[in-house]
Amino acid sequence: MQWLQSRVQRELADQIEASRARLYRLAFAWCHDTALADDLAQETLSRGLTRLEQLREPERLMSWLFAILNRCWLDHLRRRHVEVDDEVLAEMPSDLPGPEGYAERQETVSRVRTAIAALPLGQRQVVTLVDLEEFSYAEVADIMAIPIGTVMSRLCRAREALRGLLEPAAAEPRLRSVK
Amino acid sequence: MNDMRKNFSDENLNAFVDNQLGAQEREEILAAIAEDADLGRRLCTLRSTKELVRHAYGQVPAARPPRDRRFSLWSGALAAGVALVIGVLLGWQGHRASQAGPAGDAFAWVGNPFAAQPARVLIHLDSSRMERMEEALDMAEAYLAKAGKAKVELVVNNSGLDLLREEATPHAERIARLAARHEMLAFVACGNAIARYRSAGLDVTLVPEAKVAATAVEHIVDRVQQGWTYVKI
Repeated sequence: MQWLQSRVQRELADQIEASRARLYRLAFAWCHDTALADDLAQETLSRGLTRLEQLREPERLMSWLFAILNRCWLDHLRRRHVEVDDEVLAEMPSDLPGPEGYAERQETVSRVRTAIAALPLGQRQVVTLVDLEEFSYAEVADIMAIPIGTVMSRLCRAREALRGLLEPAAAEPRLRSVK
Repeated sequence: MNDMRKNFSDENLNAFVDNQLGAQEREEILAAIAEDADLGRRLCTLRSTKELVRHAYGQVPAARPPRDRRFSLWSGALAAGVALVIGVLLGWQGHRASQAGPAGDAFAWVGNPFAAQPARVLIHLDSSRMERMEEALDMAEAYLAKAGKAKVELVVNNSGLDLLREEATPHAERIARLAARHEMLAFVACGNAIARYRSAGLDVTLVPEAKVAATAVEHIVDRVQQGWTYVKI
């Protein structure tokens, strides 16, 4: 398969490899399940690669891929929760296990993940897309196919809830020092 | 709550922290912070929250749970490689098809095999997750039931090899039954995957129905070039 050796193919392979890690990390932040996150990332890459032709603007590769990840995630949820529409989904309380099982050494990491896991799914998706992937509100709206106003209100509620859940930590001076 | 504070909604302050405001709105908030300590504290809390979320996922656990650890070194990279090769090929094929055939249906043959006429379907399984294995067999059975003359190949690689390993498969009987009933059904194992299992110290005895291809990727590429429908489980 000599065509794989070309520079373009290698660049594409590099890009794909790089986005796998990002997709996996975000999927993990959504589901806190390594095997499921891996499957979601894999499914996203498969779908993405077989539909590469539908990507009209190559510079938007990442938000395009994350939109596919979002659909994979929704498909997964719908398989588990039949007849759940988007609005219900957004408000659906979390039934995820906390991250206790992952034997985190760092207490803060563990506490924040527990708080994230307690957020309704829609809020969790928005806050992680903004904070981890640094997408703009407009891009998040695009990725999740929701109005930008919904992105902002979910983000507000998510941060407010996180603040409440992490209050004792936030009160500690060392956690208030941000660069 | 003072007057200044009322001027800025939570949406506003979040947008400030996320760098989503225009220059003027940004300016207004920056000016207000100087005179409103409470506003400063709210922004600080929001920023802390944001930093905490980033910190919490700075490092995430590896992609495979511990029971699969022995494959974690190669399974991810290999899976991505396979996906890439297949994806590139499908993209290329699709491109060619869209030039040759009617516009707009370049991918029809990839997506909806039930719509295509004489079914020649390659089902690709690369996972040993129980539901995936079942899905692969269900799909093979569905195609065979739907189109009497369908040719179906179930190609496994990565941990999907477990479906055809006597040491691991929970479906040996079903595979034997399906193969006995359907002449046009073939089970194909990836030679690379077998070699990798063995080099990891695992026994690989394939079920009697299984054939071996040099590599799954090359086999899939060949089939797709011959016009087979490709379905990834």
